Amino acid sequence: MIEFRNVSKTYSTGTEAVHCANFKINKGDFAFLVGASGSGKSTLIKLILKEEEPTSGNIIINGKDTTFLKKSRVPYLRRSMGVVFQDFRLLPDKTVYENVAFAMYIVRATPRHIRRQVPMVLSLVGLSGKAKMYPNELSGGEQQRVALARALVNNPSMLIADEPTGNLDPETAWDIMTLLDDINKRGTTVVVATHAKDIVDKMKKRVIQIDKGIIIRDSEKGGYNSEV
Amino acid sequence: MKFNIVGYLIGEGFKNTFKNKKSTFSAMLVMCISMLIFGLFFIIGENINHIMQTVENAQAMQVFINLDATDEDIQKLEEELKTIEGISKIEFLSKEDGFADYKEKYGDRSYLIDSYEEFIPDSYIINFTDLKLSGQVLEQVKKLDNVKEITSANEVMDKLVKVTNGIRMVTLLILAGLVIGAIFIIANTIKLTVYARRKEISIMKYVGATNSFIRWPFIVEGMLIGIISACISILIVGGLYRLATNGLLSSATIQNLGITFVSFADMFNMIIIVYLILGIGIGVLGSSMSMRKYLEV
Repeated sequence: MIEFRNVSKTYSTGTEAVHCANFKINKGDFAFLVGASGSGKSTLIKLILKEEEPTSGNIIINGKDTTFLKKSRVPYLRRSMGVVFQDFRLLPDKTVYENVAFAMYIVRATPRHIRRQVPMVLSLVGLSGKAKMYPNELSGGEQQRVALARALVNNPSMLIADEPTGNLDPETAWDIMTLLDDINKRGTTVVVATHAKDIVDKMKKRVIQIDKGIIIRDSEKGGYNSEV
Repeated sequence: MKFNIVGYLIGEGFKNTFKNKKSTFSAMLVMCISMLIFGLFFIIGENINHIMQTVENAQAMQVFINLDATDEDIQKLEEELKTIEGISKIEFLSKEDGFADYKEKYGDRSYLIDSYEEFIPDSYIINFTDLKLSGQVLEQVKKLDNVKEITSANEVMDKLVKVTNGIRMVTLLILAGLVIGAIFIIANTIKLTVYARRKEISIMKYVGATNSFIRWPFIVEGMLIGIISACISILIVGGLYRLATNGLLSSATIQNLGITFVSFADMFNMIIIVYLILGIGIGVLGSSMSMRKYLEV
């Protein structure tokens, strides 16, 4: 599903954010990307989203090498992944329903499909009753659920979450992670970059740890730190 | 919210246009001023052209033939005139007809010239294929035998040709300058909208929107500013032109000179086409320019 082969990324400033990364995340996996701030987590996410190009190495997504993917094809690659960010990135002047539907007409879904799909996804994330509310009327956790609904509404084969719980209190964070786990159980590959130690330890999922741009650990059912 | 894709893209464009009232207004103002200045020069140019054509048709060159020229001489002169390049029509005017013309011109007082009949020579009336060649033709005709005198509006024509050419150049230069200026201003206006919506654009990119999908609302915004400016400009230009020509036509000098103006309806098609091309073109170019940076996500 996602495979990094000797991927390095050096920014134009000279900083080497990722050095020779090798890992493979299979279809249906749930993987945490952990590491301190500035360790290269975000760069890995950006490389997956093809927001950044690797300096060397190959990134294979859904069996296709994206290294030489034309710029004009990038949108179509992104349609196979849903993305969630720490800061939710909702549109403040659109309702919950519209924020989710927005992702659908970008991919030119039919109005009928949109009318059917949006309420379904909203109920999946537990926001059925809040479709007509605006983001500022929701709690942080609810806003992240909207973002999740938006990421899922086009049925992506994988979900990429960059610090999805960074702005949430521990309890809400746990709810969101459980939701991510549910989504994973329905067959979606989930990759979560985080430094929420408690959650990672508790969930016992695959952990890929990165430090100073180097992948130092890749363990099945691991904790945040190697000794756990 | 509408879920029809074209409706959505156009709707977003409209919304943007009216959301940023101040920048939209300033962009429209600049566009209108540009278009008005262009319109002004275009109209002046068209009218001078029109006047020149009138002059061209009415004021041909009259070549008077020596009084002592024989019929063969006259015939020979005609043959020679025919070989000169730049002449479209040669018409013989006999002394009798010529005199009759004069009498007609003097109207009530034609008796005054009765005694001059014998001094009126035969003549040829020459029309030019192109006014610009009139000077050249004049020089060649002068050299021919039996040519007594030539009357022509040569100097006036020369000046008119120069003025029209000058105006055409100025119009083009102004047009080029204004187009460049307007593009930058539109680009700036749309940059504001793009900036205000950069978050939305980045979300769209992450969800997998193609660049063209993101671009359309902004292009619609640019086009809309252009089209509205074009409509406002054409109304102002049309109104002012009508006022100006009505005013001028009622003045005695203009009436005496027999000058007429091109009706606005005749120029309308040209102006509206140029305005719309300018408006839409500038809008599209300006918005594409302002978008480039924000599409790199």
